[in-house]
Amino acid sequence: MKKKLVALALASAMAVGLGACGNAGSIEQNGNAVSGSAASTSTADAAGNTGDKTPSTAKLNSDATTLYINLASEPQHLDPALNNTVDGACLAVNSFVGLYTYDKDDKLTPAIADGDPQISDDGTQWTVKLKQTKWSDGTDLTAKDFVYSWNRAADPNTAADYGYLFDIIAKNDDGTLKVEATDDYTLTITLNNPCAYFDQLLAFPVFDPVPQASVEAADPDGSNPGNWAAEAGFVSNGAYTCTAWNHDASMEYTKNPNFYDADNVTIEKLNFMLSADDTATFAAYNSGDLDFIDNVSTDEVPNVKNFSDFYIADMLGTVYTGFNVNASLFDGMTEQQASDFRKACSLVIDRQYLADTVGQTGQEPAGSYVPSAMSDGNGNTWSQTYYDAATTGADNLEEAVKLLESATGYTFTDNGDGTYTPSTPISIEYLTNSGSTNEKAAQLIQDDLSKLGIEVTIKTEDWKVFIADRQNGNYTMCRGGWVADYDDPSNMLEVFQTNSGNNDMQFGKNPTSAAPQNWADYDKLLEEARTEVDTAKRTDELVQAEKMLMDTNAVIPLYFYNDIYMMKSNVSGVYMTKTGNKYFMYATKTAQ
Amino acid sequence: MSKYMVKRVLLAIASIIIVTLITFFVMNLIPGGPFTAEKAPSQAVMDALTKRYNLDKPLGEQYMLYMRNLLHGDWGIDMKNGREIGPDLFSKFAVSAKLGGIAMIIAIVVGVILGSIAALKRNKVPDRIIIFFTTLGTAMPSFILATLLLLIFCVQLAIFPVFSSNPSLVLPVISLAVYPTAYITRLTKTSMLDALSQDYIRTARAKGVSRSKIIFVHALKNGLIPVVTYLGPQIAYIITGSMVVETIFTVPGLGTYFVKAITDRNYSVIMATTIFLAVLMIVANLITDIVYKLIDPRINFE
Repeated sequence: MKKKLVALALASAMAVGLGACGNAGSIEQNGNAVSGSAASTSTADAAGNTGDKTPSTAKLNSDATTLYINLASEPQHLDPALNNTVDGACLAVNSFVGLYTYDKDDKLTPAIADGDPQISDDGTQWTVKLKQTKWSDGTDLTAKDFVYSWNRAADPNTAADYGYLFDIIAKNDDGTLKVEATDDYTLTITLNNPCAYFDQLLAFPVFDPVPQASVEAADPDGSNPGNWAAEAGFVSNGAYTCTAWNHDASMEYTKNPNFYDADNVTIEKLNFMLSADDTATFAAYNSGDLDFIDNVSTDEVPNVKNFSDFYIADMLGTVYTGFNVNASLFDGMTEQQASDFRKACSLVIDRQYLADTVGQTGQEPAGSYVPSAMSDGNGNTWSQTYYDAATTGADNLEEAVKLLESATGYTFTDNGDGTYTPSTPISIEYLTNSGSTNEKAAQLIQDDLSKLGIEVTIKTEDWKVFIADRQNGNYTMCRGGWVADYDDPSNMLEVFQTNSGNNDMQFGKNPTSAAPQNWADYDKLLEEARTEVDTAKRTDELVQAEKMLMDTNAVIPLYFYNDIYMMKSNVSGVYMTKTGNKYFMYATKTAQ
Repeated sequence: MSKYMVKRVLLAIASIIIVTLITFFVMNLIPGGPFTAEKAPSQAVMDALTKRYNLDKPLGEQYMLYMRNLLHGDWGIDMKNGREIGPDLFSKFAVSAKLGGIAMIIAIVVGVILGSIAALKRNKVPDRIIIFFTTLGTAMPSFILATLLLLIFCVQLAIFPVFSSNPSLVLPVISLAVYPTAYITRLTKTSMLDALSQDYIRTARAKGVSRSKIIFVHALKNGLIPVVTYLGPQIAYIITGSMVVETIFTVPGLGTYFVKAITDRNYSVIMATTIFLAVLMIVANLITDIVYKLIDPRINFE
């Protein structure tokens, strides 16, 4: 017993030590930059819990009126317009509510809106009736609040990361949004063009209303837009209001009696532990101080994954490895040769092994860049696959060698032990950010490519340096990942448009002769999809765009993210969207 | 003495200015900025943010602007969350100083007592036991100790909660106190032994001075000089927080604030925390030097 305890302590202590060196791991850091809504949600009770499960040894918490939760460390902003993280979005959906929201059955449902929107035939005029609701301070919440809040969030001076989502709304001559309060409880919205996912945006936190009087009082000169929500006690309109905030330690949310659906909220208080330390949060969960933890360290996963309180939920995101299409590695190759070279690499990466040993929580190997759980925008889920993701690896060596021979002009000698040696050495530098998960993935890729005689050197960088180098194209091959903000393939594919700030693979940016030459076609396909009214045609355009992307082989999908969490057996009714937003307000908890 | 003081204070100010200069320019040299993110913000957002925090101005001007505001008592605005740094810095310092202060008092009291016992009972059982534990205490890193304490007292024995809105200070204080306690014990023992072998002690014994007076007045007072040397920087170090202990026990202290500012490239917080720590360190060293003089009149500053 004692020995085991010491071993556990050492293991977790090492994790802390690594954490201190700035290792936040790939999933956390990817997760850190996203928030969103999704068309489909999965209920906690149903998510990924199949097969035999053993009861957890963690102690239960018997305080049935309060839910004790850990999502992450101190949130940067509780203002729903300024938030840019998943954990922040979880806080936002529990304390603010917009026109629409998600119910536990996978569906968009009216929240402040009274019924479904009326949409004009050309798809650009949306009229939404509002319920008569109140802010937490008792004042009326009217259509004017939405007009103010949306204009504020769209204003560049507010510097909201998701402010660009308002670009879909048409503008008046004075630069304000074409959103009008035709009366106190009617909102009319004019879009630039029809938008297939605008209903999802209406449930996105950046579209939530904020209380104009408090926002303006706390920021008279417009230099600190989030100031009104910098301490507990601010006005909101959601299920809970923030009533205590001990920065970097804990936060208390108390039920808002003015919430439009307050009758169905049974948990009086949410108490958040503000910590990103897996050792501390896992200990708090086991000791009965927490009911819900949103993260489990990968070291701990094998020990808990058979417990009945360990859950795996779908998440719309893809882990990939990417090539800089302009890298000097491809100098002298044609566009096709460069693509073949990358295809050879893609073929020999053992995705199943990578998902099993690095992901560890049953992630699905990726046969496409758009996640298979994502809606295709036309009533189905994404069904494209480009290879059999479960069987890539050493079996494809021969095919890969042929591709490499035609790409490089070198000859490859079969060493007879499942490896090949090229006539001229090939070496590639693989760039990743520090973190045990990322480094382990890098080593597996290194090992797979070594069978082709390609020597991969791993360069590990601090998070911010890594991001800067990747965005500036200072790399050859790198770790990549993208988590969707809303459930639409365009959200994944627009990343690689030429002028996207996230086009880290450098598509279309001063292309060398080996880089894809026709990237304007990709941009065009997505522009067309953006304004397409016919959903079937639109889906087809998105499929074509993904095919173009996959043909370059510069983005090599590895596996799809999923979302793990632990929740005690006496808690039920917590549900979440596939973009990671967790709704706690309809939870119930029994006193054991 | 006053001439020496003036010289020391001037030197201290010069050191702080050099620290601010180096920190400011080095932090701007590291790749990545406060708004670098995996999901890159749009150009409009980037422009608004760089303008809001004066990052669009030349570096020299930014530095002068920062220093001017600082002289007016303005510590700046946190670039990540828009909060004023001053109040945050001092509320976090209050937490760290409380924990560190208690830990240091425990370390001094326990360390000096154990060290004296070890010296007086040299090579006997108490000495052996004390040295065993102090070796363990200096050898065990705080992240192991803190994690062990958390698992034993919070999870296994459930004496303290891991998470509560009114957290107990006991475990973080112990985690912080163990190392300095062990170190002070060893220092006290060594210097006590040294002092006890001095001629003046033999003289005092020969004169028939009582054993307790010899120990407390003659030996201990002289034996404490190395301890004082150690105390100055160590106090400054411990009251400015420990990221490891704060992270494990969810303590909102200064250590995490400082480290996180660097990984976030949160320029204004890096500057504020660095300057704050530099001032504390310099002041602690100054006080140490003055205390020397009080303990040992032979020390001459001129």
